[in-house]
Amino acid sequence: MSTPLIECRGVSVGYDHKPVLENVDLTIEQGEIVALLGGSGCGKSTLLRSLTGLLAPLAGELLILGQPLYDLPLDERNQLLRRTGTAFQQDALFGSMSLADNVALPLRELTQLPEAVIAEMVRMRLFMVGLPGQEAKLPTSMSGGQRKRAALARASILDPVVMFCDEPSAGLDPAVAATIDATLLHFRSALGITLVVVTHELESIRTIADRVVMFGRGSIMAGGTVDELMASKDPDVFNFFHRVAEQADEGGALEQLTR
Amino acid sequence: MAAGATTTVERKGRAAVVRIHGDLIVATTKRVYGELRTLGRRRDVRAITLDFSDAGRLDSSGIAVVSLLAKQLERAGKKLELAELAEHHKAALDLMPKQAPEPEGAEKLPGPLEQIGAGVLEAGSGARALGALIAETVRQSIAVVTRRKRLPAGSLAHQVATMGVDGLFIVGLLSFLLGMTMAFQGAVQLQRFGAGVFVADMISVSVVREIAPLMTAIILTGRTGAAIAAELGTMRVRSEVDALTTMGINPVRFLIVPRIAAITIVGPALSLMGMFIGIGGGMLVATIALDMPPVMFWQRITERLTVLDFLHGLGKSLVFAWIIGFAGSHLGLRAGGDAMSVGHATTRTVVVSILFIIIVDAVFATIATFLRYT
Repeated sequence: MSTPLIECRGVSVGYDHKPVLENVDLTIEQGEIVALLGGSGCGKSTLLRSLTGLLAPLAGELLILGQPLYDLPLDERNQLLRRTGTAFQQDALFGSMSLADNVALPLRELTQLPEAVIAEMVRMRLFMVGLPGQEAKLPTSMSGGQRKRAALARASILDPVVMFCDEPSAGLDPAVAATIDATLLHFRSALGITLVVVTHELESIRTIADRVVMFGRGSIMAGGTVDELMASKDPDVFNFFHRVAEQADEGGALEQLTR
Repeated sequence: MAAGATTTVERKGRAAVVRIHGDLIVATTKRVYGELRTLGRRRDVRAITLDFSDAGRLDSSGIAVVSLLAKQLERAGKKLELAELAEHHKAALDLMPKQAPEPEGAEKLPGPLEQIGAGVLEAGSGARALGALIAETVRQSIAVVTRRKRLPAGSLAHQVATMGVDGLFIVGLLSFLLGMTMAFQGAVQLQRFGAGVFVADMISVSVVREIAPLMTAIILTGRTGAAIAAELGTMRVRSEVDALTTMGINPVRFLIVPRIAAITIVGPALSLMGMFIGIGGGMLVATIALDMPPVMFWQRITERLTVLDFLHGLGKSLVFAWIIGFAGSHLGLRAGGDAMSVGHATTRTVVVSILFIIIVDAVFATIATFLRYT
């Protein structure tokens, strides 16, 4: 238990040798729910790409379960990645497959489970994310919120130790966003899944996150609980939170513009 | 981590107590599932107790196995009891839906008659949509030509450059090689009748009237037609076409007219180039291999070829270009919501274009024969 789940030491990430984030030191323990926060273009999604095995960091060490993800031979790297789950911002469901086939895909490809067990697991997982009985639906005939929940079901079907979620509730109505938050909490309590969530929704951060890591100025700008960050004297952090809060309270950007 | 789950079974009369040792996880559930299912089927077992006192971790597949066993026993009127559950087992088993609905059956597949009917309706609506697209394109083109509306800045030049430059080399090469091949093949046959000199007539007529327009059209179908369908299909899928409509910009004028206009220029132009290069290839072979001086070759061509032949070839090219442009645009715009539909639109564009090109080619040949300008 003593090895942290994720450990970044002096990690720089970016494209074409141009770092977006530099010197990121980040440790995530098993069972935590950590929210990654920051303005658009601050590099949090780039870091997420690195954590999920899509983009090698430019510098530094990135360990998952104590193993250097990008220094492993391909087979071992895939083994390690199978213990993580990723729910993409665009749901990334396969349009040609039914919901059940989408969710069952990792089970069929990576395990030898009998079909009856797979069907039962899919049924349970769809129940858990609030899509009971919708196995036969095609992604194109589902709403945005349903597709996001389906993506969560697929990302979690192998009981990963950690799930990465990129904006799981962005663009959804508050009621659906709340059910997604509840689902994420349920994942942790029932399956012990650690969660790393990129999100902008303050409400959702308050509900689910144990800890917030805030990015800005090319690196980690601040860290702590939501309340700690909101009380921060750092002007950039203060600005970020109080802008967000103002908009939420006063009904949006239009009023800010017209004021 | 304990490796693999094993089970020990204790029988107490008609009841069985199954003790699970170790983790019940993906790697181990297959065997445990088989054992439990067999046990559940036995007639002499009326009740099963699962004893978790020695069980380790329980993951989703483990829960699924327990859930399946519960359903199996319930159907058979038998009893299942779970004993000695630790806290984390209880938390995990809470995931078992109490009364989750069984999956709804897949929608019933239509029978063969329904499929034929749906196909006919689909073809009808497709034809109507194509008609509407052509009509709108003509309307918008007239508006553009009469300067009442404008094309997006630089779009026509851009389209002509991508379509034309892409095709230049390959159309040139193919025409040249075909011209050469025909000279070789034809000369052998013609010389048997002492008519070797007519090789020039044969090459010039067939290249100008048939080979160059057809080759250009096939290249354009594969490159440009498929590209149009893929571009428009992707735009459709990403709701870019809808975005144009909501902005009050006519998607036909913005997307289709520049493409049709460009292919209208590029098709005949490439074809014309193909005609001269093809004749050049034939002339080269005639000079080198058949000892026919270029001057003589040229003289025969000028005597034989008329403006009408060129008009025939170029007119065909123009119609082919429109077939390709409209097939790509129409099928691209009709692509559905997923990634597969774009691929489908692209392949259909190629197949449909080539089919109609050959049909139109036959029509042209027939008309030419009846009007006696062969």
